[in-house]
Amino acid sequence: MIKLSITFLFTVIALLLVVLFTFLIYLFVQRQRESRFEQVRDRYLLNYSQLWYDYLFNNALFSMVLVPRGAAQVEAIERIFSSYLKNIISENVEQKIKQFANQYLKKFYEKDLSSRRWSIRMNALYRIADLQIEELLLSCQEFEKNKISDEEHFQLLKIYSLFQPDLFMEKIKNPNINYSESEYRRLFVLLEEDVFIRFFDDFNCWPTNIQFAVIDTAAVKRNMQYLDELKKLLSHDVMEINIRALKGLYEIGIIDEIDPFIPFVTSDMWEARLMVAKIFKHVPLAYTYSYLEQLLQDENWWVRSQAAKTIVEDRHGIAKLQQFIESSNDPYAIEMAQEIAARKEGSK
Amino acid sequence: MSDLIIEQDVMQEHEVRRYFEIWRESVIRSRHTITAVFLKEADSTQSKPNENNHQITAFLQSKIRKTDLLFQLSDGNHWGIFFLQSSDVEARAFLKRIFAILKAERKFQQIALKASITEIRNNTVTFEDLLEKNKQVLTENGQISWSVVEVHDYGVQPIELVKVSIIEQNAIFRQVLESTLNQIVIPHFTLEVKVYEDGYSFLQSDGYKTGHMHLIVMNDILPRKNGLEILHILRHMPNEKKFIIYMMSERNSEGAALNAYEGGVDEYIVKPFNLRLLEAKIKRTFARFWL
Repeated sequence: MIKLSITFLFTVIALLLVVLFTFLIYLFVQRQRESRFEQVRDRYLLNYSQLWYDYLFNNALFSMVLVPRGAAQVEAIERIFSSYLKNIISENVEQKIKQFANQYLKKFYEKDLSSRRWSIRMNALYRIADLQIEELLLSCQEFEKNKISDEEHFQLLKIYSLFQPDLFMEKIKNPNINYSESEYRRLFVLLEEDVFIRFFDDFNCWPTNIQFAVIDTAAVKRNMQYLDELKKLLSHDVMEINIRALKGLYEIGIIDEIDPFIPFVTSDMWEARLMVAKIFKHVPLAYTYSYLEQLLQDENWWVRSQAAKTIVEDRHGIAKLQQFIESSNDPYAIEMAQEIAARKEGSK
Repeated sequence: MSDLIIEQDVMQEHEVRRYFEIWRESVIRSRHTITAVFLKEADSTQSKPNENNHQITAFLQSKIRKTDLLFQLSDGNHWGIFFLQSSDVEARAFLKRIFAILKAERKFQQIALKASITEIRNNTVTFEDLLEKNKQVLTENGQISWSVVEVHDYGVQPIELVKVSIIEQNAIFRQVLESTLNQIVIPHFTLEVKVYEDGYSFLQSDGYKTGHMHLIVMNDILPRKNGLEILHILRHMPNEKKFIIYMMSERNSEGAALNAYEGGVDEYIVKPFNLRLLEAKIKRTFARFWL
């Protein structure tokens, strides 16, 4: 049996109590700090939200009381700015926020970039991009030399794309980085049009992920200047690129000629035929009916269905389908035409 | 009274009074301006009053629209026309047109008219006052042929109270919207702005159950009853037409916008948006209520 002296036991208990007590004090202090932080932040929000509104929207004079003193007030300002930037478009407001952030918030985020905590560094990177703190570009480049995570690197690319597009183009060519298609889309959507269009210049040099993301982003941006670029890609050797270009053209919704699309009516890939049937929605039926009739008799259900839907969208579409039903020998096509015509008439 | 020339095929003063009283009330209820035009021969000393009166009545009858009402006053030498849902702009255009025809055509050469225009935008005027006032301005000296006088005594529109509810979760943006809407100046309307942070507190407030016109600016996603649910509830109320619903959303997709419009929103605004644009849209919405 283990023999323990009373003195030893008391010593252990006293030690444990000291540890416990120290821990409790630590928790208490932390909680106090947190609560003080919240108080300062909330007081700033309460006292200065209206002043910020007057300064940003009503052109009131800037007051030095708005300059933050400490992290709590910075967080309050972040909340105000993010509420404005997320909900309101105003060049004047954006300019004022940018100016303020570059002048008064720079030092806080510069310090955060050297923090040991990943979350603080990430937060700083997000704010640098959102508040457009261009003056921290050099600090960001320095920061990149450290050992940083993929997420931080991605965020840095976002910052470069905003502040220095040339540097961004250079960085993105780095073969060591390989992001997913959706991540590239998130980066490209932020680019100015004149920078983004450069991706089309040497399109074939880019990895597939970037190529796909470029086409999809062009569709999202819905800018007329990408029409010709996407049309050029219709003659690309890779079928996936053809289909995505067709989808992009459909999304932009402006079709000025049908000749580039006609070869796809007889494409081996049903997805391409489907996209052509969709694209013809944007063209008067008089020009496309013969091709749509062909697609209505396609072997693929989706293509037949889309062709019928495209025909029926036209003012004379139902009459055309009726005419087709009477003259065709294809039972599948007739069934599809009947179904879509009936649905259209039912919805009238 | 032997010199009174009363036309048989045109309504008379005493028959029109009842109609006028109903239209006058609908000016407020339906926000439809009515405009009264009174005409009188400029030279009452001419030789053939009887013949002229027939000619004038027939001419006016042929020129009015189906929604306008021509009547003759009991003194026999004044004509009145009520233009429903029309402002003084249309009345002026009408007079300009008929005066030009009367002056140009040979068969009307012995006729010369003068007229008065009264735009009615409130329900304080009585039929008798209206007639008296216009007769007075038409008999005043110095009125020459083909002249048009305007009576502005009844053109003041009443100020209508509009309830405004802002339902937005973000407190800072909510405050911005509140300040913006409080600063909007809309002629003839006064806005009473209230803010709510979620759908449930808005529905609990009962503020939406009053008969006032009600502008609602809300987010599509809200805690405790989201915007689409509120939209559904409001659009299924018996007097749902009083609600003007603006829905704000972060979703910039055609599908989301279609869904909202089909659900009954009047405007779908994608965030972030320009506050000046919101103001302009609201002003335009209210400008449509009166002619």
